[in-house]
Amino acid sequence: MTPRLRFEAISKRFPGVNALSDVSFDVAPGEIHGLLGENGAGKSTLLRILSGVFRPTSGSMFVDGENVSFRKPMDARGAGIAMIHQELQQVPHLSVAQNMFLGHPLTTVGGLFVSRREQERRAAQALSMIEPGIDPAAPISSLKVAQRQIVEIARALLDRARIIAMDEPTSSLTPSEFERLAEVITKLSASGVTIIYVSHKMDEVFRICQRASVMRDGKLVGAVDVQTASHQDVITMMVGRELMQEQHVSHATATVKLEARGLSSLTKIRDASFKLHRGEVLGIAGLVGSGRTELLRLLAGADRLTAGAIDIDGKTVNLRNPRDAISAGIGLVPEERKREGIIPVRSVTINMALASLGSFSKAGIIQGGKLRNTAEDLLRRVNLRPFQLDRPIRLFSGGNQQKAIIARWLASKSQILLFDEPTRGIDVGAKAEIYHLIEALAADGHSIVVVSSELPEVIRLSDRVLVMRDGRIAAEIARADLTESAIVAHAIPGANTGRPPAPAA
Amino acid sequence: MSNSPAAADTKLSPAFGRFSFSLRDAGTLIGLVVIMAVFATLVPGFLSERNLVNILQQSSINACLALGMTLVIISGGIDLSVGPTAAISAVITATLLLSGTPVPLAILAGLGIGMACGFINGVLVAYVGLQPFIVTLGTLSTYRALALIYTGGNPVLGIPAGFRSLFNGNLFGIPMPVLIVAVVALAAWVLLKKTPIGEYLLAVGGNEEAAYVAGVPIARTKITAYVISGGLAALASLILIGRLGAAEPILGNLWELDAIAAAAIGGASLMGGKGSILGTILGAIILGTMRNGLTLMNVQAFYQLLATGLIILVAMMIDRATRGRE
Repeated sequence: MTPRLRFEAISKRFPGVNALSDVSFDVAPGEIHGLLGENGAGKSTLLRILSGVFRPTSGSMFVDGENVSFRKPMDARGAGIAMIHQELQQVPHLSVAQNMFLGHPLTTVGGLFVSRREQERRAAQALSMIEPGIDPAAPISSLKVAQRQIVEIARALLDRARIIAMDEPTSSLTPSEFERLAEVITKLSASGVTIIYVSHKMDEVFRICQRASVMRDGKLVGAVDVQTASHQDVITMMVGRELMQEQHVSHATATVKLEARGLSSLTKIRDASFKLHRGEVLGIAGLVGSGRTELLRLLAGADRLTAGAIDIDGKTVNLRNPRDAISAGIGLVPEERKREGIIPVRSVTINMALASLGSFSKAGIIQGGKLRNTAEDLLRRVNLRPFQLDRPIRLFSGGNQQKAIIARWLASKSQILLFDEPTRGIDVGAKAEIYHLIEALAADGHSIVVVSSELPEVIRLSDRVLVMRDGRIAAEIARADLTESAIVAHAIPGANTGRPPAPAA
Repeated sequence: MSNSPAAADTKLSPAFGRFSFSLRDAGTLIGLVVIMAVFATLVPGFLSERNLVNILQQSSINACLALGMTLVIISGGIDLSVGPTAAISAVITATLLLSGTPVPLAILAGLGIGMACGFINGVLVAYVGLQPFIVTLGTLSTYRALALIYTGGNPVLGIPAGFRSLFNGNLFGIPMPVLIVAVVALAAWVLLKKTPIGEYLLAVGGNEEAAYVAGVPIARTKITAYVISGGLAALASLILIGRLGAAEPILGNLWELDAIAAAAIGGASLMGGKGSILGTILGAIILGTMRNGLTLMNVQAFYQLLATGLIILVAMMIDRATRGRE
């Protein structure tokens, strides 16, 4: 049988990084095909090539045996490929139907007028196949994330998509919403639509996919038959080395460095209290939206407290903005590096020095020599590669950008470092380096908080883990009791009294 | 690992950084040279020393405004109110001079008024959170109205010679306005390249969210840019009324457009985060050269406007094409 989709030796180069090299595999019609890999393995890049956002540097793609080459996303759409992004790309104040017909509205009188009624009728028709409860005239912003995802799927059906690619569709879904989505996907597959299901969550892939391709560092490392493979096999393929099995060494001391007392905020944090010790790595786990990032932003002075207090070295500090937090010795390594971390066009040196320019200046003039010496020293310490200090930071790989941000807080002599998803969008090699850096910083006496969605990462790094749920700290788990199922049991609403969700394999 | 190769690497590049003659500035300079070469073949005497000095003098007012505009644009903003700011400052300075205020005091007052206008813009942008385009569009009308109301719409005539000689003289054969603007440009260059404030401007314009998380004082940085822009608008108006001997409340009409054009030709990105002092000066000289050359060729004003517009568009297209290859 002709495969529905075939990748043949696809490669994609970006400045400073080989995002994909020589990726080839086939997917059959009606197959639910998992695409597994760590963050930065190249899954998203491959999807972007499939959906016409990027053009491959080399290699070719075939849809139903026909060689296709997309110049823009509309081309891919025309070839029957629909993409459902992790961050749903919808216009919030337009209606469900308007969003479904975005970019190619149904018109009357030769294209002069949009026919909203007809759009809504057709939208309702498409929705009725999978989720009849959604009103096509409702504004999309009134729907839950899971429903919005269904709308995207219905939109793909309207386009008569033959291939639907889903990028981490469950990152903000509850387990019951996932079940609903799994049903919809199975139904689509039975009607002959091919699904590419991208995830780094093994359970889900084992639950709904028939086969899976595993990627690592931009390469295809293997295909897995989900019926026969074990979780452990796949993890080894994904990670590629014993990264997660390395011995955990704790440098925690008994000295309390920071104490949070009853923190609340308008950003949903409620009554959060905890202590952070000198030399400790404190993990924070929880579902997306449980308030992990918001808690870090409170500590970093980026959001305001409505109640509670933060003590550092036993003294209460008032953090009105990040400047206050920085002078109190707190530095944030944010999750969205591009948006909140780097100044893209400026050099890696300036990005490193940004939080402490005052200390490099005399009489208001920056001392170039002093800045350069510190940059050489610190950026070598974090092992920046390539070691080009005047190069704009946007030309570095994600891992090296992250190292520069870490160096920023070394330059400002911060004692408390807050990491939000420290390895998101970073390849596996750099990931190990970031882990080792975090450990070295803790060994140096820094106090560290790590927020991560990747449970193996939290477990690998943390001396102690706080689990958040609905803006509250739901549980504290000591190193000795730290397992994935223990974290999950506390992270899911209403689950801490019941059983942890049954593993599907 | 041996340190020497890395050290050699890092020693080389700062040398270029220090002279700060970027590829983009070189492009602007080439543009200027080409335009001059064209006029040199078409207009006899175009390259005479006298005409070249003339071009610099004619470009000085726009260059002065454009320097402030560059800093505002780098910070991610825009200042449409420079013309009316200049007008308010001009009519108040002129009135003070006529009422017998000592010249240095009147100059300080004029610059102070300009900076106050900029401060208001900055506060509305940084603290009230309005968009720079809208804020300065609003103050564009407001400041103009204030200048008109203050003078009843009449020009302030008879500015004393003591003041005028400051801006009309020569030093070493170079007109004072050119020297003043050269000093301002040098100061702006130092500000942008050598001080934390300069880095903050680039950071805020380059990525405000990241700058905030890194502890950059966002509001203070933005306000600084608008205050400098207002102050330089006032300085430009002083140069002008020194030359004319009169201050009109309608002075500075459409100045903002020339200033933005000079900054953009010089490589400032209206998205913020990018801009060059040297480039802006070259951009202002390019515009001045066009006007001078076309006037000498007796080209009608309509066509001069056309040529200026085309130069801006061509410069931006070249800019876009070269950046696309990065």
